[in-house]
Amino acid sequence: MKYTEQAIVFNCADCRLIGIATQPETPAETGVLIVVGGPQYRAGSHRQFTLLARQLAGQGVASMRFDYRGMGDSEGDMRNFEAIDADIRAAIDTFLKHAPEVRRIAIWGLCDAASAALYYAHTDTRVSRLILLNPWVHTEAGASRVRLKYYYLSRLMQRSFWTKILSGKIELSKSVGDLSKSARSAAKGESSTAAAPSDPRHGSPGYIERMLDGLKRFQGEILFILSGNDLTAQEFVALTQRDKRWKKLCHSPRISSETVKKANHTFSSQTWRGQVETRTVQWLASSGKSI
Amino acid sequence: MLQAGFEMEPFFLSGERGALFCVHLYPSHIAPKGGILYLHPFAEEMHKSRRMAALQARRFAAEGYAVLQVDLTGCGDSACDFGDATWETWLADARRAFAWLSAKATGPIILWGLRTGASLAVELASALPGIKRLILWQPVVNGEQYLNQFLRIKLASEMLSGNQAQSGTKDLRAKLEAGENIEVGGYMLGGAMARDLARVKLADIPSPCPVEWLEVGAEEGESASPASQRIVDAWRAAGVTVHTRTLSGEPFWVTQEITECPSLIEATTEAISRSI
Repeated sequence: MKYTEQAIVFNCADCRLIGIATQPETPAETGVLIVVGGPQYRAGSHRQFTLLARQLAGQGVASMRFDYRGMGDSEGDMRNFEAIDADIRAAIDTFLKHAPEVRRIAIWGLCDAASAALYYAHTDTRVSRLILLNPWVHTEAGASRVRLKYYYLSRLMQRSFWTKILSGKIELSKSVGDLSKSARSAAKGESSTAAAPSDPRHGSPGYIERMLDGLKRFQGEILFILSGNDLTAQEFVALTQRDKRWKKLCHSPRISSETVKKANHTFSSQTWRGQVETRTVQWLASSGKSI
Repeated sequence: MLQAGFEMEPFFLSGERGALFCVHLYPSHIAPKGGILYLHPFAEEMHKSRRMAALQARRFAAEGYAVLQVDLTGCGDSACDFGDATWETWLADARRAFAWLSAKATGPIILWGLRTGASLAVELASALPGIKRLILWQPVVNGEQYLNQFLRIKLASEMLSGNQAQSGTKDLRAKLEAGENIEVGGYMLGGAMARDLARVKLADIPSPCPVEWLEVGAEEGESASPASQRIVDAWRAAGVTVHTRTLSGEPFWVTQEITECPSLIEATTEAISRSI
């Protein structure tokens, strides 16, 4: 399907933000708002979001991608994903104004944008669905547990690991040091209300609890897309297995989950990006079936 | 000085291979003092440095200049895939953007580029009359070295993903020369782009106009890094006026987090007000 792209300036508080609306000739009722996560801007790592927007448009889905305040081309000071509610709201207002055929919004967010989407979604009735990729639930203890489970234990089973140790290519003392450090950190008790990454830019204490709260309150459908080879995705999976509240919610029929095998955190290949695009389009087309 | 208000207009400019995304910033109530065209760096460096480019562009606009930022073919929000772009397409894109800005802005036109964008600016300036000054941020002086560094990203990611690295840069270069495209960090690199990039040697193209050569390093200083200083010396010997400065800061075009380098913005703004 043919599509057009429109560059738009809009306001949020006293800042000018830049976004791009990509629209097919006859768009579906649900449009996609692409929210940017991590150290990026609206085009995405290796242009993932630009290319996604064009794939969506080719399949009849309108989208908008934008830089929130302090990001990319938009004005304002840098801010983290916990403070972008007003930006998302302004972007949705702008998107709907420019795409009158769009009635409902699906927010698509990778990494900490997935976390931001969970904070926001239940506060806006226009948002009916969420597509969340490798949601950011990082804590030091969580990462250590994942490193222990996926990295060290799996490596102990590998023949090549032992070959490298025996041939001196891996320093045994360093590996043991890393392992015991991870074990200590993983064993450290932490209350989930206080848990946070060591760098405050990546989440303030209790941010994962607030995500859970958003997940509980949001009544629409959610698709989680996870990378097969990514610590962030593994931390999320570990959380949904370990924490009963996450586990219960993630088993609800309105939530589905898929893994893109071997993909890294940003899906940095044509093949992985393509799989994400295909799943996004298919899932959007299957609207409302599970509720 | 009182900073003027400025307008911010994103738009698509028609290019040879499809639409080119642009942002035009210009003073609200006065005729611009001059026009500044920004050329961005290569692949992910363009994304990481987006905020620094925007900060500097807004600063220039507040000082009374019209600034045009263009996403080259296959980059950012512009048309095509990265793998479709060639150095020639990029030169043609830059010419189009230059022509657009020349028609809009009053006063002299300045080219400003970061990394390979700086190299592209030097090539464009040597091919076009009427460019008054170059602002080069951390220019890539040797395209071949840069290409090899870029290919090493692929080798590093192969090793990190637990695989034995399949090849060295030599093997990858051979594949590119045989016409094969190679995907590096999610960017498809075409053989033609690799070939042209490898030919970029700033030592061979002295700038036709005065140059502000600015780098970021561990320590502030009046000279550039040793590798750059050799080119600067050669250009000076050829009669080019070159001001060099190194500002202390992080290499914001490659850092993991988005970083700002305020001292570079100050120095660049100061340099441009001195020159005109």
